[in-house]
Amino acid sequence: MLYVVLFFLMFSLYLYVVLGGADYGAGIVELFSSEENQKITKKTIYRVMGPVWEANHIWIIILIVILWIAFPAYYNILVVHLHIPLTIVLLGVTLRGVAFVFRHYDAIIDNSQKLYDIMFKISSLITPIFLGMVFGALISGKIQLTDDISNLTFYEAFVKPWLNVFSFLVGLFFAALCAFLSAVLLIGESVQGEENIYIRKATIATVVVFVIGLLTFIYGYVNEYMFVNIFIKDLYAVSAMVISGLLLIPLWLTIKKGRRVLSRLFAGLQVFLILIAALIPHFPNIIITETHGVSLLKNIAPDSVINVLGVSLTIGGAIIIPGLFHLLKSFKMIKILDQHNNPSI
Amino acid sequence: MENLDAARLQMAFTLIFHIVFACIGMVMPFFMVVSHYKWLKTKNQVYLTLTKAWQKGVAIFFVTGAVSGTALSFELGLLWPEFMKHAGPIIGMPFSLEGAAFFIEAIALGFYLYGWNKLPEKFHWFTGVIIGLSGVASGILVVAANGWMNSPSGFDYIDGQFLNIDPVQAMLNPAWFTQALHMTLAAFTATGFAVAGIHAYQVYKGKRVDLHTKAFNIAVTFGAIAAILQPLSGDISAKNIAERQPVKLAAMEAHYNTERGAPLYIGGIVNPKTQEVNYKIAIPGMLSFLAFGDFDAEVKGLNDFPEDERPNVPIVHYAFQTMVGIGGMLMLAGLLYFISLKKKQWFKNKKYWLFFVALAPLGFIALEAGWIVTEVGRQPWIIHKIMKTRDAVTPMPGIVFSFYMYILVYLTLSVAVTWLMIRQIKVLNAKK
Repeated sequence: MLYVVLFFLMFSLYLYVVLGGADYGAGIVELFSSEENQKITKKTIYRVMGPVWEANHIWIIILIVILWIAFPAYYNILVVHLHIPLTIVLLGVTLRGVAFVFRHYDAIIDNSQKLYDIMFKISSLITPIFLGMVFGALISGKIQLTDDISNLTFYEAFVKPWLNVFSFLVGLFFAALCAFLSAVLLIGESVQGEENIYIRKATIATVVVFVIGLLTFIYGYVNEYMFVNIFIKDLYAVSAMVISGLLLIPLWLTIKKGRRVLSRLFAGLQVFLILIAALIPHFPNIIITETHGVSLLKNIAPDSVINVLGVSLTIGGAIIIPGLFHLLKSFKMIKILDQHNNPSI
Repeated sequence: MENLDAARLQMAFTLIFHIVFACIGMVMPFFMVVSHYKWLKTKNQVYLTLTKAWQKGVAIFFVTGAVSGTALSFELGLLWPEFMKHAGPIIGMPFSLEGAAFFIEAIALGFYLYGWNKLPEKFHWFTGVIIGLSGVASGILVVAANGWMNSPSGFDYIDGQFLNIDPVQAMLNPAWFTQALHMTLAAFTATGFAVAGIHAYQVYKGKRVDLHTKAFNIAVTFGAIAAILQPLSGDISAKNIAERQPVKLAAMEAHYNTERGAPLYIGGIVNPKTQEVNYKIAIPGMLSFLAFGDFDAEVKGLNDFPEDERPNVPIVHYAFQTMVGIGGMLMLAGLLYFISLKKKQWFKNKKYWLFFVALAPLGFIALEAGWIVTEVGRQPWIIHKIMKTRDAVTPMPGIVFSFYMYILVYLTLSVAVTWLMIRQIKVLNAKK
């Protein structure tokens, strides 16, 4: 059953990165667009994300709940040492969700739209940066574990783990990845003549992802980060990265041919490989402290808990995943019909 | 401010807000599907307009409820890491099921909001029913987790270790049913009267009387039925608490000394120093009867418990009085509504509408007061008789700043949501 739970943990992490990521990315793409394109993007985002964005963000709740039920000791380190960036993430999630609804459901359209738009765009950028920083903090080796936390200064215990160049680079990397995912998604969803906007955005995002990724590695290598040292010696991780890079070729070919479903699959696969690469070399030590790794599997919940959780997740998954799939599918189908009947939309 | 106080205030504050959003998000879908059903049956355009107006309300409250709920799922760990480290695995089950229910709700909402004229009529309506049912299921599951804090079960506590964990038994703890029943009825009462009050105000002002009367009728019917049933559930709860948490019951009634035939105090000012309740109305033997079904039963007083294991008596007592007082009033209002159905001329009387406008906020005040009774009444424990709240709080200092930040954000949020609702109604009234 532990494997079932681990599967759902990784599954929800992956889906949150891809679906939630594309959702954040939409705001980032809008932020870095000209005024005219912002209007187009706002409409497209509403059309594409409207029915599904709430569901996209529930994955992080599932992720957190699995963590606290099955891996309480691990979760404890996360919430104690990364309190500040997690609070900022929460603030971002709140403002972003609210802004999204306000800007589409406010009955009167006036200047307040500008405020909602700014709130939406800024929090779309800040939130993934801090989410990335949280992950960066976990692997940065700057978390110090002691039996008595009062031996550490406030800075050492609660700030240093996440407020550093390496974590910040990881944060930027994740935000760029979100923008990339979203741009690829929006290419397929845009109306004829507008897809070039997103092809351009996707190109820029790809370059940014590559440059920041490279910078992160160089910085980590020069400063002898344990994560980077393990990473470059791990065959699986390096090959996953290389394949992910090579997949750019079929990705661009499918985009050019307008095969939107296939292009999304490639982008999703790329992110999957990046995630694998980031986790596999040091798995299950998903926290790297100054001296050693902390295993996700250390001090896990007793078997009775893991078993019940595994069963509930399987049942829940069996109900939810087809429903979600149906939701995603039916609105895509409907959209095609709409365009067919009414080409002006 | 001490870290513990700041953390408790932050938790209280975020919960107080989340409860309002969550209740409305949980109950309004039912109003919406009733109106939707009437539209499908009668094809009266007014019901369609009303359904679409309410659906916007549902969407806005669902999202505010969802984001404040996400915040809470993090805050549990961020503020109370020691609690979550031990309790997380034990009470994880209702939370994981709640996650599933919430997911279904979000999927159904996606179908409902964007399914007009696209999905088959009946299926579309049914997705609305799913929103409501999964919302109620989420509420019940979360309350079950809270019930566990009041009546921890499903484990053996040996030498400070939680052993032999049984998550199913923990979820089905002795408090889950009474608390879930009481809260579900409270959610329907509070939301029913709040929504009814808003529409009553529009009728009072003479704006689109036809539409707002229909809206009022749907909302107030739910509220009235729930309010009439609530005293029964309250009675079950009281008996349950008397058995499980006698110290909480004693605090609710500011009952200091153990006695047989204990009186029930109505109102009164508590003086914790002299252990007296002044200016109260006392009904002899009533507390014994309500708690144990026997006018002569012995009710334990606060003095039977160590001083450091008692909650803040005045807060719990006043909150309890507020809850019961308002609950009684709303029950009478509910009866009055059903009488008014026979006396149609009342509907023409402006005072009738003004009366329901005045009731609008009361349900929520009672509901919050009830949660204060439960939560403050459990102190100093975070897990009754197992772990103290002060041992669960985060070691990170300076929580007071995060508390201020949350106040700022949530207050802004509530002003914004209120403002948005006013604009919705304005546009609705302008439509023809």
